[in-house]
Amino acid sequence: MEALKQVLLQLRLDPAALWLIIALPLVGAFICGVFGRMLGRANVYLIACATVAGSFLLSVSAFLAVSPLESSQAVSMENAFSTSAIRYAFGYDYGTWFSTGTFRVNFGLLVDHLSGTLLLVITGVGFLIHLYSTSYMSHDEGYWRYFAYLNLFVAAMLSLVLADNLVLLFVGWEGVGMASYLLIGFWYSDTAKAWAGRKAFVTNRIGDFAFLIATFLIVLLVSAFNSQSNTANFTLVGGNPETAQVRYREGLQMKGPVAFQGLEVFANGMHGTAEKAQGGVSLETPIAEGPLKDRTFGGVLTVALLLFLLGAAGKSAQFPLYVWLPDAMAGPTPVSALIHAATMVTAGVYLFSRMSYLLVLSPTAMVTVAIIGTITSLLAALIAFAQDDIKKVLAYSTVSQLGIMFMGVGMGIFWAAVLHLVTHAFFKACLFLGAGSVMHGNADETDIKKLGGVRHEMKQTWFTFMVATLAITGIVPLSGFFSKDAIFHGIHHNHLHGYEWASGAIYYMGLLIAACTAFYMSRVYLLTFEGKRSPEAKIPHAHESDWRMTAPLWVLATLSVVALFYALPLMPGRGGVMQPVMENFLGPVFSSAERIASRGGQVALDHSIPSLFDYLKAWVVALTGGAAAAFMYLKFFPARAGQPAPAFARSVRRFTQNKFYVDEAYEFLVIRPVKNVSAILYKLVDTLLIDTVAVRGTAWVTTRVGSALRYVQTGDAQAYAAVMALALLGGAVYALIQVLK
Amino acid sequence: MVPISYYLILAAALFCLGMFGVLIRRNALVVFMCVELMLNAANLTFLAFARQNGDLTGHVSAFFVIAVAAAEASIGLAIVIAVFRSRGTVSIEEIRTMKH
Repeated sequence: MEALKQVLLQLRLDPAALWLIIALPLVGAFICGVFGRMLGRANVYLIACATVAGSFLLSVSAFLAVSPLESSQAVSMENAFSTSAIRYAFGYDYGTWFSTGTFRVNFGLLVDHLSGTLLLVITGVGFLIHLYSTSYMSHDEGYWRYFAYLNLFVAAMLSLVLADNLVLLFVGWEGVGMASYLLIGFWYSDTAKAWAGRKAFVTNRIGDFAFLIATFLIVLLVSAFNSQSNTANFTLVGGNPETAQVRYREGLQMKGPVAFQGLEVFANGMHGTAEKAQGGVSLETPIAEGPLKDRTFGGVLTVALLLFLLGAAGKSAQFPLYVWLPDAMAGPTPVSALIHAATMVTAGVYLFSRMSYLLVLSPTAMVTVAIIGTITSLLAALIAFAQDDIKKVLAYSTVSQLGIMFMGVGMGIFWAAVLHLVTHAFFKACLFLGAGSVMHGNADETDIKKLGGVRHEMKQTWFTFMVATLAITGIVPLSGFFSKDAIFHGIHHNHLHGYEWASGAIYYMGLLIAACTAFYMSRVYLLTFEGKRSPEAKIPHAHESDWRMTAPLWVLATLSVVALFYALPLMPGRGGVMQPVMENFLGPVFSSAERIASRGGQVALDHSIPSLFDYLKAWVVALTGGAAAAFMYLKFFPARAGQPAPAFARSVRRFTQNKFYVDEAYEFLVIRPVKNVSAILYKLVDTLLIDTVAVRGTAWVTTRVGSALRYVQTGDAQAYAAVMALALLGGAVYALIQVLK
Repeated sequence: MVPISYYLILAAALFCLGMFGVLIRRNALVVFMCVELMLNAANLTFLAFARQNGDLTGHVSAFFVIAVAAAEASIGLAIVIAVFRSRGTVSIEEIRTMKH
């Protein structure tokens, strides 16, 4: 044990080598994509898995460097924007990426406790899913394309997490979107699947556009703050105010306005109200010049955060942009597990956790995030009730769980949202991979009504799926219970000023959502694994998958149990109260948010620990949901016996099965008008104006003029000379007139 | 000293003589000679102005024109001879082939 500890202590990544974490999968993607077909199946598997595994090892080493086993080795890095160092973080700035005028962006990578955790999840779960894919894609001809895209995705996701500024984060943000598009439409010869990819891409584009606008607003905001702030602002930052201001200006020159460290100082320096500011800039101060003249700092910040919310809603499948995620199940199942459950869709949660210090300045933006999360979560949970496709149920369940994370972020319980992100990555990846294993063993059957009784033939898949189901449902000793309950407890006890009603309302909606989760997850589990095998099954007997598919299932199931450790109150916290491990661990990341909140004015963050009664309440809620499902699907509606369900159940079912007609509403309200306008534009502008008038018109005029002028070319040299002489005469006459004037 | 306008009028007269020759005469050789006439009219103008201004730039230009005229004459004559060999005539009207 001691020897292992010594080895781990030695494994500390040099900050300058951080780029390797991203570069490894990128090289893998290049090799698989360009030479994959030549290399053959086994080599592609080896390269794809090995690059991600290498990236995982580097991530472990980076993680150990920021969270050492011995406190004497705790690292801290210099903050370019402030005299106080950043604790428990390290990073490397590779210099200017691009600059124009006073604006510049550096290529900088940063690992702290938040991105370190995410690194482990991405590369760890990513590796397991690569391993699983080697078996799942063993009959597919496009294996090299698949692994190239998967590696590309991992590289993009890693750059999203490692980025130390908004622009580099946006590169990763777009990269994962592209990889997701490529993988959803992986079987592109199937039109429906190709369309699903396109739908995902277009929906994401809407969000990305909002993200860009929000970034521009942040740039304007920071430059306004830089010119208007005075030392009264920098008293809040720490140290001597004048030095702090000089340092901040130097930081802006060195790293540009979009670096997260600078935004953190900016948030710290921003006063809540004009009275407190004492001449400094506050959220109520109007901006003095530029395109945002006369708008207040707080107002612009809220708008920017709401635009970030729209961006995050696109990527993290929140209302109103969630519609792409269920269709994204067209891709191969491991892709759904990695991209559309464990990693990419949590990018929005990561973004808001990363910018928690900005979020706590604006209760309006926070409550909007929470409300959007609640709506999404409830809507998706209800839709999941009546879906018969196992992957669709899991997809809506993902949307619903992401909604819960957004509720947590919106109500300021950031650490619990990140913990739920991690535990959700484990159990949802396990569920998706389990679903993939079920499909693989049952001739690609996805309809849960046509499965049933699979537990007897697929024992390993059954057991791991059951563990993950219990975890997501929130049964006591599993991680999902603790992470979800931590979010709900935080929602109940945190307060947003001006929106005090939100805490209670969202909390009770949360309990309802938890019951719904328990219901639909039990339903999918019971119909798939319990009972008798359906007579409509494609093949009479299922077969268990090989070790490359079951091993990741076991690892993920184990992780979704042991991750509960992070929610246990084991660490000493404020005022002698014990603190959950994860809250303690992520403390340095959210310290600015805490500090801003503790000034009062915007939000009040609570640090109490759920009581046993809270736990009991959550447990009863989960059990009620599960029991209701068991009662209805095992006793009351024996769906496979052919007995018709009661009329009310059928009408409710029809309504939820059609996903509340949201897709139809979009079709009617958005897609059809856009289509009609584009049809008109196509006919009028494209076909008539550009094609007919501009392109063909130019050609027509040139031809006609050419054939008319052809007759001037007589071949008579003297006629040409006469023209030249006439031109000379004209010139001479012109010169004469000029002279006479 | 002869006033400069005399030179210029002489040059203009020579130039017009050359120009109308080029426009009217049918024989390619005569057209050539007329071109030379125009070049020399230009030379005369150069020299007249150079003399008036008292600098050497005009002389240089004139020498340059003479060199170019020599080159042009040799190539032109070569073409005329080639055309005569292939067509048996040097009349411009008969060699109108480069047309639409």
